[in-house]
Amino acid sequence: MIQLEKVSKRFEGKRVVTALDSVDLSITKGEMVSLVGASGSGKSTMLNLIGGLDTPSSGQITIDGERLSGLADDDLTRVRRDKIGFIFQFFNLLPTLTCVENVSLPLHLRGWSRKKAEARSRELLDLVKLGHRMEHQPDELSGGERQRVAIARALSINPPILLGDEPTGNLDSTTGAEILSLIHDVHRTMGSTILIVTHDRGVAESCQRTIRLKDGKIIGDERRSTAA
Amino acid sequence: MTLLRLISFQYVRKHKLRWLLTLAGIVLGVAVFVGMHTANQSVLRAFHQTIDRIAGTTQLQVSAGEAGFPEEALETVQNSPDIRVAVPVIEASVNPGRGNLLLLGVDMTGDRSLRDYDLENNNDDAIDDPLVFLAQPDSLLVTRIFANAYGLKIGDKLPMATMAGPRDFVVRGIMQSGGLASAFGGNLAVMDIYAAQKLLGRGRRFDRIDIAVREGVRVEDAQANLQKLLGTGYLVESPGARGQQFESTAQIYSLVSSITSMFALFVGMFLIYNTFEIAVSQRRSEIGILRALGATRSQIRTLFLGESVVAGLVGSVLGIAFGLLLARGIAAYVGTMLSEVYGVAQNVEDVAAEPWLLAAALFVGTLTSVLAALIPARDASRVDPVKALQKGKLQLIGQGENMRRRIGAIVLFALALGCMSMSYIRPLFYLGYLLAIMAAVLFAPTACNWVTRTLRPLMKWLRPVEGALAADSLIESPRRTSGTVTALMLSLALVIALGGVARSSYKSIQDWLVIALSPDLFVTTNESLTSRSFVFPPEIGDGIATIPGIDLVQMVRTVRINVRNTPVMLVCTDIASVARKIHLPPREGDPDTMYQEAAKGKGVIVSDNFALLRKYKLGDIIELPAPDGPLRMPILGIVIDYSDQQGSILLDRELYIKHWKDTTVNVFRVYLQNPTFEPSVRAKIQEMYGGRTRLFVFTNQDLRAYILKLTDQWFGLTYVQIAVAVLVAILGIVNTLTVSISDRKRELGVLQAVGGLRNQIRGTIWMEALAIGFTGLVLGLVVGAIQLYYTLEISRTDVAGLRLDYQYPINIAAVLLPVILGAAWISALGPAESAVRGSLVEALEYE
Ligand SMILES: Nc1ncnc2c1ncn2[C@@H]1O[C@H](COP(=O)(O)OP(=O)(O)OP(=O)(O)O)[C@@H](O)[C@H]1O
Ligand SMILES: [Mg+2]
Repeated sequence: MIQLEKVSKRFEGKRVVTALDSVDLSITKGEMVSLVGASGSGKSTMLNLIGGLDTPSSGQITIDGERLSGLADDDLTRVRRDKIGFIFQFFNLLPTLTCVENVSLPLHLRGWSRKKAEARSRELLDLVKLGHRMEHQPDELSGGERQRVAIARALSINPPILLGDEPTGNLDSTTGAEILSLIHDVHRTMGSTILIVTHDRGVAESCQRTIRLKDGKIIGDERRSTAA
Repeated sequence: MTLLRLISFQYVRKHKLRWLLTLAGIVLGVAVFVGMHTANQSVLRAFHQTIDRIAGTTQLQVSAGEAGFPEEALETVQNSPDIRVAVPVIEASVNPGRGNLLLLGVDMTGDRSLRDYDLENNNDDAIDDPLVFLAQPDSLLVTRIFANAYGLKIGDKLPMATMAGPRDFVVRGIMQSGGLASAFGGNLAVMDIYAAQKLLGRGRRFDRIDIAVREGVRVEDAQANLQKLLGTGYLVESPGARGQQFESTAQIYSLVSSITSMFALFVGMFLIYNTFEIAVSQRRSEIGILRALGATRSQIRTLFLGESVVAGLVGSVLGIAFGLLLARGIAAYVGTMLSEVYGVAQNVEDVAAEPWLLAAALFVGTLTSVLAALIPARDASRVDPVKALQKGKLQLIGQGENMRRRIGAIVLFALALGCMSMSYIRPLFYLGYLLAIMAAVLFAPTACNWVTRTLRPLMKWLRPVEGALAADSLIESPRRTSGTVTALMLSLALVIALGGVARSSYKSIQDWLVIALSPDLFVTTNESLTSRSFVFPPEIGDGIATIPGIDLVQMVRTVRINVRNTPVMLVCTDIASVARKIHLPPREGDPDTMYQEAAKGKGVIVSDNFALLRKYKLGDIIELPAPDGPLRMPILGIVIDYSDQQGSILLDRELYIKHWKDTTVNVFRVYLQNPTFEPSVRAKIQEMYGGRTRLFVFTNQDLRAYILKLTDQWFGLTYVQIAVAVLVAILGIVNTLTVSISDRKRELGVLQAVGGLRNQIRGTIWMEALAIGFTGLVLGLVVGAIQLYYTLEISRTDVAGLRLDYQYPINIAAVLLPVILGAAWISALGPAESAVRGSLVEALEYE
């Protein structure tokens, strides 16, 4: 499902920073993978490259059989919008829109009809147990509720891949656990391929597979069979 | 100061584009201010210079209005003991083929003691020898510039259509450039005065006597004595005094200039205000750090005011430079508009501003900038250091502030209404005008908010994501938008007002044309209908009347005279005959008796604009300066008549001939028994007189087209104003959007992350721009309605005496919609591109 071949990312500033150094990685369909490592080890960079938010300096990334290198900006966006849902640490909800509108954002961008988009959004908000908050704006919600809206938004287009950059990083441990179990639910019911960056040991260990990064290189890849 | 250098300079360097836009606001205002006033001054100066050049060493001039006076007056003057030299002059504008030039008819024997002709190659024989110049009535002196333009050498012939038929004139001398030969930029020719009388059909009349007084006699004494000798029908004055007439005409342009530049500065002020508001909200954390480090509130305020002073000075200097360029164009325009006085356009050789004007421009520009920065600077000084260092935006105008503005607007508006009810006191009227505009400005942010809130559902319906987000961006950030919208509102209001005046004057002139222009044919001496240089003898009219198929011929003599020191058009014709054909719409007086009485010579009928401008009422006695003494006449009626901008007075021809001793005619108005006779009558007139005199025949259609073309000038002004509004829209919107995309960076990043294509990102920026343009347009159209009211009032009472109906220029409003939305969209192109080009990763982490 996700294939990285000799992927490197260098940032050319005053001094060159190699954030990813010739990384090879393969994640199969339906896997739930956590990505761990010290701060600055290149986790976010890797996630951004997989999500097509950024392009690698060298190497090849393949998403669901589609090679990302050489794609024009809009084509990259198309891959992203058909295959990938993002969950951010800081939620990145739009403050002026209601929950329903935030969730239906990707659907409208795809040209869904108003009615269909709204129905789908309500369905998803029910799924993340926010049925009573439909018409609220994000700043009227708690952090955990916001992250659930963000997850609903990521799920709205039913993407085969879900990427999360520290989705629990900004939440207290109880709320974090709730969100984690929600993600597990999604994984179970929809069979999505999920990759989450985390600093939380518990979160990492709840996944079937954990990849460890250090200085832009993979230094560990461990599989476990958890029933969680 | 150090703070300014350290902090502000860095900011300016980082936001070059925005600073250029701020400067543009000042440049715009100052440029219009300098341009308009410099042009007016330069034209006046050039005009005075021309008068001096033509006057030579003349100390006094005798004149009697445009009709001139009989030759006998010359003898009277020459016999006066005070006089050393007195020479006759005829001045007329003629067009020998390539534009008008001033033709000076002089008596060469005496004239050279007043004027220096300075011929090339010292070829003074040409004028010294009476046999060369005087004895040959076809002699002509031209300037070097004229000779070059027409490719003439000494001895060459120049054909001209004269009142005695076509004639060839022979160039006998060429005047060197400088002095007299530079008057009107060299568009000048000199001939013998008796030849000029024949050429122009003037009979035995002069326009002027130029005088030098005897040594030892005081000019003032000579002036007083001559005035007594000649009576009040004549005007004895110094040559410089002639400029005054011109100045009174120029005052109108001065008033218009003042209002326009005030508006331009106002608009500039809002563009600047906008930039400073934006700067303050963007630099909040910087201000917070400074405050945390110990800067006082007043230091912060000084920092921003200091920036505004620097911006004001730089902008004013640039504005002055642009203004001087602009002045050239405007000067040419004003020079042409004011060609009325001499019939020759006053070209302006050196357009230069007086030092005080430049100083004033610098001051006004800087003041505008500082005033615009006052509120933003205060806001900056009130930034709370703790809150500023936290993340988030300060955008919403505080409820209290909004409320205060709204109350202020209502109070000002009430005061404006109060002033309106007392608008017969002129200063109060203008104060009311100012207050009304201020009220509109104060209310603008609130109205802007209303309009954008109303727009949101529509925009959301159009594009659920892009539209809603664009609208939200406007609603959430009033500070970013309201300055731009206000500037746009003001400039569009001016467009509406000008367009409205153009529309109503066009309409009323058209209505008037239908009534006043009933003759089928007009026989004139000139292809330009306003020129009165050439005149017919009345016999031609009698001759035309004998042509079969003609019902009636009316002889009309129009001359400009001075009433209460301002020029008015005296229209002299057979009133009984006019009354048979035309009844001009009466404003006051009984329409039947007024014509009957006027036909008997018992009084005059005046135009409404004359009565309004000069404050005459029905029954008032008006004093006409006739050569044989003042002619006192009661006003029998006031009618609508647009014959002349300054107003017109209708006098019976008998009376005119009796007092002015002038039987000449400018126009024969011909009525046919049947319109189908037109081609045959026309051909017959040409056949009878075409070869014998200078004559042009116009049909009713021709004349209408000609007059309506003149009124189009108003529309020209409207288009210029539309261009300015477009410029304002672009400046303001680019400015606002540049900030908007940086404020919306994260939002736009999220949109792209969740699948927004580039065009969808562009779309939301475009929609934001369109919404700003549309809001400005809506407010502008509303304020335009108020502005139009005041403009019509000003034009009625202080400028043109035109009682125009209030008609909203819907056609102009309809043109503005696509034009302003188009300008908004163009403004959005650049910002939209930079929005899609930024790094996504960075945008998402943007805090
Ligand atoms: N835009 C950039 N320009 C220059 N260097 C960058 C840029 N983005 C990331 N880096 C560098 O790349 C390296 C990897 O950064 P990355 O954000 O991937 O780390 P991370 O593992 O996500 O860290 P954290 O746990 O703190 O989020 C770091 O050394 C960082 O400084
Ligand atoms: Mg990271």
